[in-house]
Amino acid sequence: MQFAINTADARPIYVQIMDEVRRALVVGTLRAEDPLPSVRQLAADLRLNPNTVAQAYRELERDGVVYVRRGQGTFVAERASASDERQTLARDVAGRALLDAHRHGIGAEELIEAIRRTALPRQTSLKAASE
Amino acid sequence: MTVAVLNPAAAEPMASPLPGPHAVLTEGLTKRYGREVALEGVNLQAPRGSVYVLAGANGAGKSTLLRTLMNLSAPNAGRTEVLGLDPRRHGARVRAQVGYVPEGVETGYRWMTAGRLLDHLSAYYPSWDQAYAERLSRLLDVRPERRIGRLSKGQSRRLQLVAALAHRPPLLLLDEPTDGLDPVARDEVLGLLSEHLADTGCTILVSTHLVYEVERVAEHLGVLRDGRLVAQAPLDRLHARLRSYRLEAPEGWTAPPDLADRALHRSGPGRELRWTIWGDQPEVTARLAGAGAVVRDVAPLGLDEAVVTLLRHRTSS
Repeated sequence: MQFAINTADARPIYVQIMDEVRRALVVGTLRAEDPLPSVRQLAADLRLNPNTVAQAYRELERDGVVYVRRGQGTFVAERASASDERQTLARDVAGRALLDAHRHGIGAEELIEAIRRTALPRQTSLKAASE
Repeated sequence: MTVAVLNPAAAEPMASPLPGPHAVLTEGLTKRYGREVALEGVNLQAPRGSVYVLAGANGAGKSTLLRTLMNLSAPNAGRTEVLGLDPRRHGARVRAQVGYVPEGVETGYRWMTAGRLLDHLSAYYPSWDQAYAERLSRLLDVRPERRIGRLSKGQSRRLQLVAALAHRPPLLLLDEPTDGLDPVARDEVLGLLSEHLADTGCTILVSTHLVYEVERVAEHLGVLRDGRLVAQAPLDRLHARLRSYRLEAPEGWTAPPDLADRALHRSGPGRELRWTIWGDQPEVTARLAGAGAVVRDVAPLGLDEAVVTLLRHRTSS
């Protein structure tokens, strides 16, 4: 599993780690009972403060996404269903898009309409390409 | 583009005390060289087990402050506490518990080999971890047979880092630790520091003028300008309080004077303005909206940008 962390992102780093775990669940690269990297390992790999990684894991545990097995590490929880995470993730993406739209002086309805117009031809062409 | 920083003095101080217990504490620390002020009334608190980044321009007093903590420089006034000890009375005990990477690469012992120096240090520190020293030396490519006087700047730096980390001290004082390192060695050092933190839970006080390098491990920020600590805050607080507001304002709009006074930085062509303001976001947004401006976007500042803004902001001190 690859974590993408960006300090220029407006989200705090621990939130980015949480989002990356959720993304991996949705995409299917992480499944129930899969182990997460240890705090030490992930901190060293990403050059992060271990406290930040531990905070992300704690919050994920509180949200029921992962659980801790004493002395063995952190694992993806059984009940972390991809569909719940999918919804959370979709809401996050929508929130970011809305913010960006607002910054450009575009209202919610206008944005939704633009997404429909943009998505339809794209989906059609993607489908055509895969067939 | 200009930026406005709402004058924090009018609202709340940007330098606030950090919660204890503290690994490093200074109160009213003042140091002068003749007429020149190196440090002026510095109240710094580095909480135990945290990473505190001390930012500032060259010559802002960062190195002087670290030297004072090691009792290598005597202050003119003020009090310091390092791991609960007064370094002026217990200099040797403090130094035995601190891993210190000084400014510059002059290690002394120019005639010694790197390996001989590490042996010498291993006898001095009871907590020296020989296996760890060897691993660090290997990862940082420190060759024991090299004579110290012949090391390049980067090689000396790496040797200093091995010496500072290998006794697993409860406190690391790092003065521009990546100075002189190439990008690969720099990245290696940052990875080792993350690992070291996970293994030891030590406190790190690191001074730098390249804050982006340590942004991923930083938990607290202190900003020194001309010997004064103009800002001190946990990063999450900085993230929440120091924000950039993108405004759309009608022609000839003037901000309410007290808000304008609080802006740290203002900029913007035409009717779009960008203000950097220290304060509570809902309150600031409501005030700006109440004054007739449309707030288009509010974003936290990156650490680098935050430091530059705080360093440029002249009216806060």
